Amino acid sequence: MAQTESVTRPPASARPSGIRTSLGEKIFSFLNYTLFVFLALITIFPFLNLLAKSMSGEAAVVSGKVTLYPIDFQLGTYLYVMKDDMFLNSLKVSVMVTVIGTALALFMTALAAYPLSKPRLRGRKGFILMYIFTMLFSGGLVPTYLLMQNLHLVNKMPVLFLPAMISVFNMLIIKNYFESLPDSLEESAKLDGASNLAILFRITVPLSMPVFATIALFYAVHFWNDFFTSMIYINDPKLKPMQLYLKELLVSSSDSFLQENKNPDSALNATPQSIQAASILLATIPIVVVYPFLQKYFVKGVLVGSVKE
Amino acid sequence: MKKTVTVLSIAALAATAAGCGGGSDAGSSSSPAPSSATAATSGPKPELRQLNQFDRYDATKEAPAKWITERTGYTVKYDLLPAENADEKLNLLMANKEPYDLMKLNKNQFSKLVSSGALEPLDDLIAKYGKNLKQAIAPESWEAVKVNGKIYAIPEASSGNLVNFELAVRQDILDELGLKVPTTRDELYTVLKTIKEKKGIIPLTGGKDPFIGDIASTFGLSTQWEDNGGTLRNYVENPAMKEYLTFMNKLYKEGLMDPEWGINTGAKAIEKLSSGKAAMYRVAYYDGGNLNNALLKNFPNAKMTLIPFLKDANGKNKVVATTGVSWFISIPKFAPHKDDALKLIDAKLEKDTFKGLAIGQEGVHHEVKDGKYYPIQPKFADEWANASAFVTGVDQNVYPTYWQARVRKDPYVQSYFETIQENAKPALVIDPLTFAPPLDNISKNSQKLAKLVEDSFLKFISGSEPMSNYDAFVANWKAQGGDEMTKEANDWYKANKK
Repeated sequence: MAQTESVTRPPASARPSGIRTSLGEKIFSFLNYTLFVFLALITIFPFLNLLAKSMSGEAAVVSGKVTLYPIDFQLGTYLYVMKDDMFLNSLKVSVMVTVIGTALALFMTALAAYPLSKPRLRGRKGFILMYIFTMLFSGGLVPTYLLMQNLHLVNKMPVLFLPAMISVFNMLIIKNYFESLPDSLEESAKLDGASNLAILFRITVPLSMPVFATIALFYAVHFWNDFFTSMIYINDPKLKPMQLYLKELLVSSSDSFLQENKNPDSALNATPQSIQAASILLATIPIVVVYPFLQKYFVKGVLVGSVKE
Repeated sequence: MKKTVTVLSIAALAATAAGCGGGSDAGSSSSPAPSSATAATSGPKPELRQLNQFDRYDATKEAPAKWITERTGYTVKYDLLPAENADEKLNLLMANKEPYDLMKLNKNQFSKLVSSGALEPLDDLIAKYGKNLKQAIAPESWEAVKVNGKIYAIPEASSGNLVNFELAVRQDILDELGLKVPTTRDELYTVLKTIKEKKGIIPLTGGKDPFIGDIASTFGLSTQWEDNGGTLRNYVENPAMKEYLTFMNKLYKEGLMDPEWGINTGAKAIEKLSSGKAAMYRVAYYDGGNLNNALLKNFPNAKMTLIPFLKDANGKNKVVATTGVSWFISIPKFAPHKDDALKLIDAKLEKDTFKGLAIGQEGVHHEVKDGKYYPIQPKFADEWANASAFVTGVDQNVYPTYWQARVRKDPYVQSYFETIQENAKPALVIDPLTFAPPLDNISKNSQKLAKLVEDSFLKFISGSEPMSNYDAFVANWKAQGGDEMTKEANDWYKANKK
């Protein structure tokens, strides 16, 4: 009894001495933790379900017996998906678009944000308004398509990232972060004889890693998950990214597609559910894996000690 | 880029002209056309661009595409429409005058593009180059592609008169309860009732579709449009529809059909059946393999029996077959190589070329047993599964027999397919509009009204809308375009009835 009490009690330094946890508090914490653990489990349930389905025999999946653990364990589905040329190719496209797109987009966005964060830029308000205007209004699908066509971007890989180089929302976040950096840092650098570019790359950029990490993640997730752009601009099967591949895989086995299409061949070639599950998992894992690697940049207090006021 | 295209098309024009004049190859010497394409026949052949419907394949790796190039000398670059919003994408491509030489369209897309004037009339080209086409395609199929007397597409006929669905029941449950396979509606009712009482499972499951042909035909209902004393009438206006819905509502109220009917998907219904939660389902032959494999895994002694199509009080029945023209192969007005496009379509229908395209090589992809074509697995599945996408027009005399190799990929699928067709044979009917050309009002309204009919029927069956509102529903249906459709259907029908 005494032991459990000492476990649940937070370390002495964290709480004023003399206040003991009452029974009510303990019950509350217990229920609280249970509730949140339960909520956390709910969010991973769909993944577990897919994982179980992807490792089960098709017969068990078809009859709806698989929930949390695999029945008739097998891994053939994964072998099948990983040998599928179209899957591998779409994975390659997605990785390239995400890596190139994120790097370029972050670079461009930061470059746009930096001058806009300096009050001494003439016409700053006007520029910002022009950016915000594009957030609220766009040209519409058909004119945009025609524009891409005239730029010879349709059916080319750059169409998947070039039009999304600057997200105004992300740009504003970076701009606000730049504005929050103390002016005195820039002044001190100037006194040391640093040029504008040196200030940007040697002072501002190193101090902005947390916001860059955040925005890079936003961009990476956006590029990875985007299927609409590719659906509109890409006809060439070699340029189809992962999400489009997945969407087509799932849609082509759906009732509505088979009914509308009225093509018995599609029905005869329908993809087994266990293979669908394996494909979804394999397509999701890469982007989920990115999160922990970016974690280390979300460090607080990098500014501590840089300025004394 | 632009320059090479221009040069190519000039070369192509020159080549076509030369070809007609009698085979001098003056054009080819200066031509940069791909050399691999020139092997088969004289003169250089341009690379053609074809727009296909969505499916999951990479055309550059597909063996049937290589076969076409090998046999006809044409290299074809294929683009695919997306799985969703295909019509919007097609509009974008057409607005942009994307230089496709041929396009494989469905009926709605064809109808829209014809009326917007985007398609090339093909009569002259067919007369010039369509030697095989004229033999391969039946006269009634040509009727389906004529608009104002001109042909705007090569009709690709479906793979025969096919019946996809039939009711199937767990034979082992019938045996256990001492029941016989029902042959009439009353017997069906008794079977469902007994299963409900004795076993407590869902007697009849199904997904979404409120019109169960097997049961509806016992009320005299069959095709969507029917000849009622010389005039076409939609089945919603048939008084028998009310009786059918009343009967279905009774099944629903008494718990004899799946309470989740309106939200089930096909996969869900099969799940219920194969896990023993339901006893009867209107199964599609292509689901036969999945269903039986899963069911036998769970219940090794289970057995599904297809219920021969129920008969009405007079011992008669009707089974609706899907047939007609599935795809429309059109050449857009702005196509750069119209002559070559048609030559290609025609060359693909040459006897041996077409057979190879449809089912691959004998001994490699398929084999012949008792006069039937069987796929050789896994070669057929690996290389020829998507071949139908590359077909542009079929030889209607032989295609159904070739195509059936596809259903013989699985013994269950095969036996379901063959049993259903066998059971349906004496009672087959087809919709009188099957071979009608695109009719504007029908293309415009049919999707919207089909949705209205499905939703309303589900409500009548589940009882959330009382049957007394049926006449109001029909009035609504007529107002929303039903009248327009009926009028147009009749105009065509009366002018073309023989």
